[in-house]
Amino acid sequence: MATLKISDLHVEVEGKEILNGVTTQISEGETVALLGPNGHGKSTLLNVIMGHPRYKITQGTLLLDDVDITNMTTDERAKAGLFLALQNPAEVPGVINSDFLRAAVNATREEKVSTYKFYKMLDSATKELKMPFDLATRSLNEGFSGGEKKRNEILQLLLLEPKIAMLDEIDSGLDVDAIQIVADVIKKEEEKGMGFLVISHYARLFDLIKPTRAIVMINGRIVLDGDTSLIKRIDQTGYEFIKTELGIEIEKENANMNTVSIGTCAVKETIKK
Amino acid sequence: MKEIVLNQDLEYRCSSSEKELTFNVASNSDVSLLLSDIEEMELLNFEVSDNATLHLAIFAQKFLKNVKITANIGENSKIIVYFADFTVERNHLDASINLNKDNARAEWHLASLSTQKDDKEIAVNIYHNSPNTHGRIDNYGVCKENSKLIFAGISHIIKGCHQSTSHQNAKIVVFDDDCKAIARPILKIDENDIEASHAAVVGKVNDEHIFYLTSRGLSVEDAKLLITLGYLKPILKGFNEQVREQINSLIEGRL
Repeated sequence: MATLKISDLHVEVEGKEILNGVTTQISEGETVALLGPNGHGKSTLLNVIMGHPRYKITQGTLLLDDVDITNMTTDERAKAGLFLALQNPAEVPGVINSDFLRAAVNATREEKVSTYKFYKMLDSATKELKMPFDLATRSLNEGFSGGEKKRNEILQLLLLEPKIAMLDEIDSGLDVDAIQIVADVIKKEEEKGMGFLVISHYARLFDLIKPTRAIVMINGRIVLDGDTSLIKRIDQTGYEFIKTELGIEIEKENANMNTVSIGTCAVKETIKK
Repeated sequence: MKEIVLNQDLEYRCSSSEKELTFNVASNSDVSLLLSDIEEMELLNFEVSDNATLHLAIFAQKFLKNVKITANIGENSKIIVYFADFTVERNHLDASINLNKDNARAEWHLASLSTQKDDKEIAVNIYHNSPNTHGRIDNYGVCKENSKLIFAGISHIIKGCHQSTSHQNAKIVVFDDDCKAIARPILKIDENDIEASHAAVVGKVNDEHIFYLTSRGLSVEDAKLLITLGYLKPILKGFNEQVREQINSLIEGRL
């Protein structure tokens, strides 16, 4: 069974420690909700797991199926079975979506798929997501609406079939119908054995995908690991109980958070300054 | 100067003895012209009469001297240019399109690959000499090794040419520390009732783009190649299958 094990992970960006001792694990067939206030390291954790070169691991390990991936490059991690649906997928002008998708499919498989098979895959995945097929023939994410970008991320997930998929606010920018479509895909893939680590600020997505566990990240650390009643509690009362019940002081962002809104990464905005 | 009347689609190879050429597009016609071997040319002139459209595709792959392109566009007429610049060494291209009458339009697309010790300066100018004229310039370049690539050009809307639109876009992706790239799109606007924009981007391949592509399993080299091709390949749509293949193999050979 595929398992991603994160042990005592410490991470720095430009000399500033963002994660200080994250330990948790995600196995195939389970969906883990990752909760926490803005700017406490949730997106950073996902980017670090995917091997973003900007983040420096100073301590700790990442194991996928007991293979140490801590020092692997991003593409090696993708080939090993990790996937990250980005909060803000980049617009890459001139790169045709279908060319990119095909290169990605071929990069992550041992045998190259034929043109015919690839188009069959693409056709069935776009239908499942109710995406117009012509999005595949346009420049990667260029001029896509927020919702189209997010569906395009899930399209990639369907084509690449990772072992563990991380979704960073996949629901931001999606309308109610699209959230339902994406949730259906997640449920179906989970049943087939994919593992999910999901960040969202809204209970609606979690109501639909019914996570198996919830973890809460505060001050760059996982402070709670429990059942999904945590999601409801946080949705209704916020994070205040962490302080009163666990005695953990929630560090406030010292930077001006005005630049942070849905669809931006709070940590990236903070370290920009 | 030799003059050629265009009343049907034409593929024309310039000969080394020709220095200046004029193409006349008759009224009410819609023609495509594919020009190659323009290496020895000094002046290429296009006269597009009223109610006519010229689809001009130029493929330059060897040495190019100082070549000047001029075009005069008539009423309700249009010139659509696709220029694939894969020349080597020194190259100085200067293009000026005059939109002389009501509803004259110009679209200019150029892709330029600059490698090794190439030294290229490409200036594309559109002059709006009448109201309700519309121009668009898109110059995309890739600059590698010790080469130098300059995109310049002026979009000029003169006073009284209201309801005109003019857009310029110059983008160069830079690969190496020793190359020099400059994008200088200039707008000169002497009229208020118009719409105009210009954009210039010179930079290395975006790290976030590379992360995105590598997170899907592509190696850094493949990601860079795909992104770079994205700058050059859009030019292909202006050419026939045969030239597309030639351009593709040139790109792959030189990147």
